[in-house]
Amino acid sequence: MTDDTQPRTDGGTALPGDSHDDGHLPPRWSLKRWLVTTNHKDVGILYLATAMFFLIFGGVLALLIRAQMWAPRAPGEGILSAMAYNQAVSLHGLIMVFWFISPFATGFANYIVPLQIGAEDLAFPRLNALSYWLYLASGILVFASFFQGASYAGGWTLYAPLNIPAFMPSIGATTTVLAIVVFCVSITVGGVNFITTIHRMRAPGLTMRSLPLFTWSMLLTVWMMLLAFAALLAAVMILLSDRMLGTTYFAATTAGGSVLWTHLFWFFGHPEVYIVFFPALGAMAEIFQTFTGNRIVGRKWFIVSMVLVALQSFIVWMHHMFLTSINLEVKTLFMATTIGISLPFDLMVFALIYTLIKGRIRWDTPMLYAFGAMVLFIVGGITGVFLGAVVLDYEFRGTYWVVAHFHYVMVSGVTGLIAGLFYWFPKITGKTYDEFLGKLSFAVYFTGFNLLYFPLFLAWGTPRRVFAYRPEYLPWHRLASVGAVILGISFLLIIYNLAKSIVAGDDAAANPWPYSTTAEWAVSSPPPMENFPGTPSYASGSLEFLRDDEPTGAAAADGGTTATDGGHAAALESAHDDGGHVDHASYWPFMIGLFTVVTAIGFSGLQTGSFPSGLEGTFYAAASVLGVIGLIGSVSFMGYENFTAHEGGFGETWPFGGVENTKMGMWVFLASDVVLFGAFIGAAIFLRVAYGWTQWHPIPHNPIPGLVNTYLLLTSSFTVILSLVAAQKRSRKGVVASLVVTFLLGLAFLVNKAIEWVVLFQGTEEYAPIALDSSVRASTYFLTTGLHMGHVIAGLLVTAYLIWRAWNGAYVNGDDEPLEYFGLYWHFVDIVWLFLFPMFYIV
Amino acid sequence: MIPDATAASVLQSGLIPEGTRVQVFSEIYWVFLALGTLVGAVVIGYMLYNAYKYSYEGGSDEKDRPKLGEVPTGGGKGKKLFLSLSLSAIIVISLIAWTYGTLLFVEGQSGEQGVEVEVEGYQFGWNFHYLNDDGSYAGVNTTNTLRVPVDRQVNLRVTSADVFHNFGIPELRVKSDAIPGETTETWFEASDTGTYTAHCYELCGQGHSYMDAEVIVMPEDEYQDWYTSQTASANNESASNESAANVAAAGV
Repeated sequence: MTDDTQPRTDGGTALPGDSHDDGHLPPRWSLKRWLVTTNHKDVGILYLATAMFFLIFGGVLALLIRAQMWAPRAPGEGILSAMAYNQAVSLHGLIMVFWFISPFATGFANYIVPLQIGAEDLAFPRLNALSYWLYLASGILVFASFFQGASYAGGWTLYAPLNIPAFMPSIGATTTVLAIVVFCVSITVGGVNFITTIHRMRAPGLTMRSLPLFTWSMLLTVWMMLLAFAALLAAVMILLSDRMLGTTYFAATTAGGSVLWTHLFWFFGHPEVYIVFFPALGAMAEIFQTFTGNRIVGRKWFIVSMVLVALQSFIVWMHHMFLTSINLEVKTLFMATTIGISLPFDLMVFALIYTLIKGRIRWDTPMLYAFGAMVLFIVGGITGVFLGAVVLDYEFRGTYWVVAHFHYVMVSGVTGLIAGLFYWFPKITGKTYDEFLGKLSFAVYFTGFNLLYFPLFLAWGTPRRVFAYRPEYLPWHRLASVGAVILGISFLLIIYNLAKSIVAGDDAAANPWPYSTTAEWAVSSPPPMENFPGTPSYASGSLEFLRDDEPTGAAAADGGTTATDGGHAAALESAHDDGGHVDHASYWPFMIGLFTVVTAIGFSGLQTGSFPSGLEGTFYAAASVLGVIGLIGSVSFMGYENFTAHEGGFGETWPFGGVENTKMGMWVFLASDVVLFGAFIGAAIFLRVAYGWTQWHPIPHNPIPGLVNTYLLLTSSFTVILSLVAAQKRSRKGVVASLVVTFLLGLAFLVNKAIEWVVLFQGTEEYAPIALDSSVRASTYFLTTGLHMGHVIAGLLVTAYLIWRAWNGAYVNGDDEPLEYFGLYWHFVDIVWLFLFPMFYIV
Repeated sequence: MIPDATAASVLQSGLIPEGTRVQVFSEIYWVFLALGTLVGAVVIGYMLYNAYKYSYEGGSDEKDRPKLGEVPTGGGKGKKLFLSLSLSAIIVISLIAWTYGTLLFVEGQSGEQGVEVEVEGYQFGWNFHYLNDDGSYAGVNTTNTLRVPVDRQVNLRVTSADVFHNFGIPELRVKSDAIPGETTETWFEASDTGTYTAHCYELCGQGHSYMDAEVIVMPEDEYQDWYTSQTASANNESASNESAANVAAAGV
């Protein structure tokens, strides 16, 4: 069968669209293509290019920091003012962590993962494009924040209460937080997509156990992302509410507010470390195997270790808080989990090292970087053990020891991804890079890296985020600044090398590396639009491409079947069976991204409930209105658009064989929503405990309207089920009637709630008026039930859409899945209310 | 000097480092540094050795090498893998367990008798309120200068008037978060008189880089003289104007 694995050559550089169905996609040289494309390879390239841009942005900020640190500065000395320095420090961290590393890895994941698992695209191509445009939108917002007074200046950890307008009033700071919110949404959309794709769209024979390691690492990364970023989303939404609406979660006067932030942030923040490092680890594992000519040692244990780390990553967050008032028992527990999570890493490091033995190691540029990344990671890991000893952590907290340690770990991850960049460059561009320049760049990079970060260990007594330090540290800080420049030069070398090669490099072979194994190397460089010359299958024990008309057991059933991309609840459309045609183009993801920017810019002007006065306020208010209208419009158009995507599900689908892509996507989304609500509810409980459990009384004076609302919602859950039953009985009237009743019940819920709120806001003869900022009790009540209300409103918008579709005859011809998926969402919203009602009305 | 201190202390207090925070930190730090360097050198050395030994030099070999399109597999050397893992686990876990004894000692020491001071961070400086044995304000308050006696335990109750700060005196190896609305407790003991500097270790705004305080460690008798004079003036004030003392006591 090895003959069949030879790729069908497209001439390496053939433009898509010259010989096959390109799904209405303009050619690559057209700007329009890049605005409308939903193809995973295009989106991958967009991600990589944008992330590289943010690397330069974050790098320039780093150089500014190192310039300021050239000497200990008296107030006003140096090239940066104190506030400019604080912004540089904060945005350097935020940009590198959020807008560079993860999207850079996502770029590879986009391009490579579908190829590795034998999928022709991701499960929801438009949602993939949407993730990218939301990512770019959030990045543009970060840029904009610098021009709105000042950007965020309180460190990337956004500690409370420095993060509220009382201490940081600039509009730009709000924009930065809005940018993080948009970024979180982008991550959630992407996570749903990748999880569905990797679980459901693998080629026959490619079981979970035999997934390539890069795909494994990405699968765990997106799972961690889905859950961790939901916690961050909750944190930044609450922060936004404090900044924009005037709630008082994080006010200095709120008992427990500051510590609440540290819990919410680090519950996200520690998994984030592994989210950043895992893709690099997966890339390094692939590269070690390819360039040593050895299969990895202890593959099974390597995977088990990654799974263990992914699980444990959610129970180590409090080690960032050893110096807060948490007690000794909790410290002991988190010390143990922290040490526990280091052990699987030991195993993975040893596995990679033993893979070298008896190899035929080729020192091409990717291997140099991957090997270098291992060395740096080992240094980072050992210095991390110091921090695991609580007594040492007490003294290292907030110093350059931490700075040096996490840069060794995180930037070793960057090093691993650069290894991946050289490794997959020929595949992605169809060109070979300049090997000499590549090796030279590694030498400069490795020198610059260690000159930059190692002296920081020696100057560890320096507090973080200051520019006045003791004179005895001067030589080390100078050395670090020199190293920073050298590291910067190495990035210029890398970019020059790759840019030059794209323009004038030799054409790359389909498989430029002698011992590569994974499927991306079995197709041309770059791969054709539909990825594979036939249906990929590992069923026979090695990769082969079956012609579409060749029946292969399970594959025969729905070989070329396609279904709609319906990740957004409103986008649910009936399946089309029009002979395998798939779409690759849609304007709407781009439009949603565009209006997201407009909306967020508008919202950023809102501070504690009001817009600024005068022309400025008019601008912000107008942008808000325009943005929201545009957003609702483009989401609706995207929902209504006919778009056909690959369905997959013909190969390995464990453990989700029995569900369709869209249903699985909905489940995964709800999983992240559980974390979101969990964080909101957890925050309210945490503040209540800090406030004094028994002194805390419900805000609504009367629980009866809440009780009525409980019945309304429960009944509406029932009517959604009725609509599904009616659809199965093929009764159009039944479907429409049940949906209309659902809609009315939901509307009644909202009206009831609105009356309750208005009464609370205005007060009665008996009770004083209550506002969002009246007390922390009021803040938690309005915000948590408000979040739920937002979910109800979104649900009603979808219901209205479903009614309209049902009226026109949809869902009664065996195509009732949208009703089922909407039902899942609606039941979830009801279940959340069952928690909120007793919590905010009774106890 | 450091190895001597280590040796002396281990002799005195057995296996678990106890003593001032400067002593315990340096003992543990140097042991970690020595072992960490050793482990790092061995592991990286072994990597480099194999990297050199198995570099490709042309020719062919008999070994079954990976082929394009094969189902990913890998295995073997499981024993070796788990042996290395066990070895590293033993080193790491025993090191941490060893320091855990010291953690218990450090935490237990918080309740001991000593000079009690409330440290209050604000944008951008430090207030120190001396406390009586019963925890009430003694009326002795200073700003940006902390005076303490040598060779006596000082207990700090750290809090903040506005944003999240962190109070640390690096030479004395003491550090604690200063969180608005909360109090964290820590302690230190200075073995030498002299002047030290405390910094803020949590980004707290524009003046963070310069949010320092002076820590003056005085001989016991000098400290007593200073403290008595401060108490006296505080009492005079309170005699003449009771409300002023209340304001001071409230930490305003």
